[in-house]
Amino acid sequence: MDPKYIRNFSIIAHIDHGKSTLADRILEITGTVQKREMKAQLLDDMELERERGITIKARAVTAVHEMNGQKYVFNLIDTPGHVDFNYEVEKSMQACEGAILLVDASQGVEAQTVANAYLAIEADLEILTVLNKVDLGHARPDEIAEEVENSLAIEATDACRISAKTGVGVDAVLDRIVDSFPAPQGDPSAPLRALIFDAVYDEFRGVIVYLRIVDGTLKKRDRVLMKGTDKKFEAVDIGIFNPKMESRGSLSVGEVGYFVSNIKALGDVRIGDTLTLDKTPDVDMLPGYREPRHMVYADFYPTNPKDYETMREALDTLSLSDSSFSYEAVTSEALGFGYRCGFLGLLHMEIIQQRLEREHDLDMIQTAPSVTYKVQLKDGTEEIIHSPGALPNPDRFDEVLEPIVRVSMIVPAEFIGVTMTISNDHRGIFVRQEHLSPTRVQLVYDVPLAEIMYDFYDKLKSATRGFGTLNYDLKGYEPADLVKLSILVNGDEVDALCAIVHKSFADPRGRAILKKLRKEIPRHMFEVRLQAAIGSRIIARESIAALRKDVTAKCYGGDISRKRKLLEKQKAGKRRMRQVGSVDIPQKAFLSVLGSE
Amino acid sequence: MEQQEPPPTSRRDEPRVSAPPRATEGTALYVHLPFCAAKCHYCDFFSVPDEGQDIDGMIAAILREAEVRAPARPRTLFLGGGTPSLLSAGQLTTLLDGLQEITGWRGSAAEVSAECNPESLDLDKARCLLDLGVPRISIGFQSLDDETLKLFGRVHTATESFRAYESARTAGIEHVNVDLIYAIPGQTADEWSADLGRVLDLRPDHLSAYNLTFEEDTRFKRWLDRGRLEAAEEEVELEMFHATRELASSSGLVAYEISNHARPNEQCSHNLNYWRNGEYVGIGPGAVSKVEHTRSGNPRSISPYLRRIQGHGHATEWSETPGEVARVAECWWLGLRLQGGVDPAEVARTAGASDAAIEVSVTLATRLVGDGLLERSEARYTLSEQGLPLADAVAREFLQRLPQGVD
Ligand SMILES: Nc1nc2c(ncn2[C@@H]2O[C@H](COP(=O)(O)OP(=O)(O)OP(=O)(O)O)[C@@H](O)[C@H]2O)c(=O)[nH]1
Ligand code: SF4
Ligand SMILES: [Mg+2]
Repeated sequence: MDPKYIRNFSIIAHIDHGKSTLADRILEITGTVQKREMKAQLLDDMELERERGITIKARAVTAVHEMNGQKYVFNLIDTPGHVDFNYEVEKSMQACEGAILLVDASQGVEAQTVANAYLAIEADLEILTVLNKVDLGHARPDEIAEEVENSLAIEATDACRISAKTGVGVDAVLDRIVDSFPAPQGDPSAPLRALIFDAVYDEFRGVIVYLRIVDGTLKKRDRVLMKGTDKKFEAVDIGIFNPKMESRGSLSVGEVGYFVSNIKALGDVRIGDTLTLDKTPDVDMLPGYREPRHMVYADFYPTNPKDYETMREALDTLSLSDSSFSYEAVTSEALGFGYRCGFLGLLHMEIIQQRLEREHDLDMIQTAPSVTYKVQLKDGTEEIIHSPGALPNPDRFDEVLEPIVRVSMIVPAEFIGVTMTISNDHRGIFVRQEHLSPTRVQLVYDVPLAEIMYDFYDKLKSATRGFGTLNYDLKGYEPADLVKLSILVNGDEVDALCAIVHKSFADPRGRAILKKLRKEIPRHMFEVRLQAAIGSRIIARESIAALRKDVTAKCYGGDISRKRKLLEKQKAGKRRMRQVGSVDIPQKAFLSVLGSE
Repeated sequence: MEQQEPPPTSRRDEPRVSAPPRATEGTALYVHLPFCAAKCHYCDFFSVPDEGQDIDGMIAAILREAEVRAPARPRTLFLGGGTPSLLSAGQLTTLLDGLQEITGWRGSAAEVSAECNPESLDLDKARCLLDLGVPRISIGFQSLDDETLKLFGRVHTATESFRAYESARTAGIEHVNVDLIYAIPGQTADEWSADLGRVLDLRPDHLSAYNLTFEEDTRFKRWLDRGRLEAAEEEVELEMFHATRELASSSGLVAYEISNHARPNEQCSHNLNYWRNGEYVGIGPGAVSKVEHTRSGNPRSISPYLRRIQGHGHATEWSETPGEVARVAECWWLGLRLQGGVDPAEVARTAGASDAAIEVSVTLATRLVGDGLLERSEARYTLSEQGLPLADAVAREFLQRLPQGVD
């Protein structure tokens, strides 16, 4: 295929603005997928994606569009919109020359619209703005076009106006893609250079590597070299996504497709690496990617300590298909042996936890997520910790540094006041404010990441009646006056319940945590005493009164089997509970440190 | 109440489970008569309104089952239900004489009891029962408040309950139990004490006083879930529980089980056997048996029961044999309901358990002694004052913390 007739682009947008639905229409109109095989958000084929109605993993697909009698090959990538998966968007863009910036014409510019548009600008992509959902009665395409121009300085007056749902206007978008996006550049006669922009694990075929050919040609059976990892493979199968994998004899400049070679683990492939032929090892590396950044950490402990090994196997298996989380063995005094895992964000954490439980039938306890702290020890060294329990005694360190993120919020103008109050209450420092339109404002603050993970987003959502959106990026580490808040259950400190909090919030947070624990921990046959402490100073107390009556009145011969099962079933209700000392603590209690309500 | 075991009944009602081994001579015998004048709203026993039912056919089936499964010379015989007193004199005669022919109970049973309800217990019925060899009856008073009886869906008044009691005594029945329910929505502790006092004034030999429970698949449970009924507060229930024990004991009735009180030598031996996790044979629809370590049951439904009996002489629909540790846990759970508590050596015998299994259970019991829930004197463990109203929570400790296994 002559690169002249190839267009490589991603579809980017804020969450739910209709990326996957637009991809559906493109696949349908180009005849890539037959109408009877069509289903909504076809590319969202992971169970969790379908269940939650969101895209988690970027997906590449090839479609052919005919314009003025000429066939054009589109390699499009549907990307996720959720902030946790920015990394997926970033990866995708490197394989493209263009990006469709999709904006919901009823919602307007939102936080990830801005964030993703800037990623596209940085990646030097041509941007084509498309206003979606014009079929909605309350769509305001004119206003929104202006918002795009004001906020992003992107021309939008003649933006395509479409309904990805009904298909109205999508034909025109296809032609605009041909006209606006540059054809891939590259030297067909130069030695092979291909960008590895993604990889997924397939149970039967091993790792499937996503490629974008930059120079030269890759043929089936070629001996290849991954430059970064210095690993050699044979191209057992190559091809394109149509949207299913379709074998091809070769892939050439500008083309996007896959490469399979019995690679056993995702860990053997580095995303962003350069692929070349075995015989041309000296080609220059293509610009790569940054590593995915783990924003939060949480510990997973099996409810039944015997499942520790099973858990390791489950994590190993899971990491084959998701290389963006990390895990390492950890021990807790209260919970025994488990794993500390790093995630891209809270949604990512929730997804991994669900997959572990569902796909591996594991019953486990998860601790509250924590950010990463840097502790400057008195001896001049630095210790990096991912959990409050790991904070050394105050006499061992000089200061603690916490991650600060630059948060960009887009809110309707009438909510500026409350948004500022919430930001200030969460130790935010004002950076700037910009009007996107007379009714919408972008506010930028620097806020400790821990505050975002605590309840910042929930507070913003409820204060702005759901209209406020937020995006954040790591800015750096700064020292803060942080203390360890210990939680004691019947006098014993439970490390898995500790929190690191700012000194000025310690008392109210301590009380809030205890209130929640009090609700979550069931009554026992004895009184359960809860205390929150900073060092040896008790700052809050609660108690859970002892259960005083629990007895079935009747129990005769005919009832015994059934009643025994009931009593045993009440144990099934005890799933996701761990005994700490003699107190049963349910999963939800371990998350009490999160959020205030 | 739900089916205890869900083995899907095959279309042709072929029993999938073979009859349990025949019990040895002397084993306790229970006969379930599944008919009542009306279905009470809180009741989860297997029983159906008698209207349009073929009681004679049922008696014939029960006798047929007895021929196949009933133990010879049972130590105790208990007619339960349902409402056995609903049977006519003729039907009672057919049943009890028939059972006599098959088992010879009249020469062996040291205790013979029948459950009766006020609407079907008059002087003639009481005399008939006594003449047929039933010297012990239980009368379902349940409440002394007519409004409550209506709420319960019962078809008698409090006055009729007293009259039935009177009839039993007049007929010369020497052992009478009264059944009562407390912690009824809206009931105060004082109201309960007053009602209980009036019953105790009758000087019954035995008192079963049940805290109202909302069992699955009953009208009461649905009403509770929909907010039409409200369960009593824990504090109120506890107060009633203690008041019951005190009032009964000052009347000479000792709480020998969580909900059962008796004069000396008037305890119900048949039920004591259940709480000691002993063997028994139950016949009739829905009846459960325990022979050796296997528990088994008949269908909780009239027609499948009848069809199975016709076809095979037995109707066993499910069976289960708990593993060793589960049997030990069961012995503790049931035994701790008794005033006399549990002796680990007896558990070892009853459960046929190894020293190791007994030892883990004793370790747990020792911990519970430390927690103040159990008391120990010599070899026996009993629930403490504090543990008594927490009997189920203590049972869960045994049933959940000891490693399980049901084969
Ligand atoms: N009315 C209307 N609804 C649309 C249109 N396009 C998409 N939707 C709906 O918007 C919702 C989100 O659509 P998706 O295509 O999943 O959005 P997305 O941008 O892929 O979302 P993420 O992948 O989670 O970021 C779905 O309920 C779609 O049916 C449209 O043109 N009109
Ligand atoms: S009379 Fe007894 S067995 Fe019959 S329905 Fe009422 S409570 Fe149940
Ligand atoms: Mg999507």
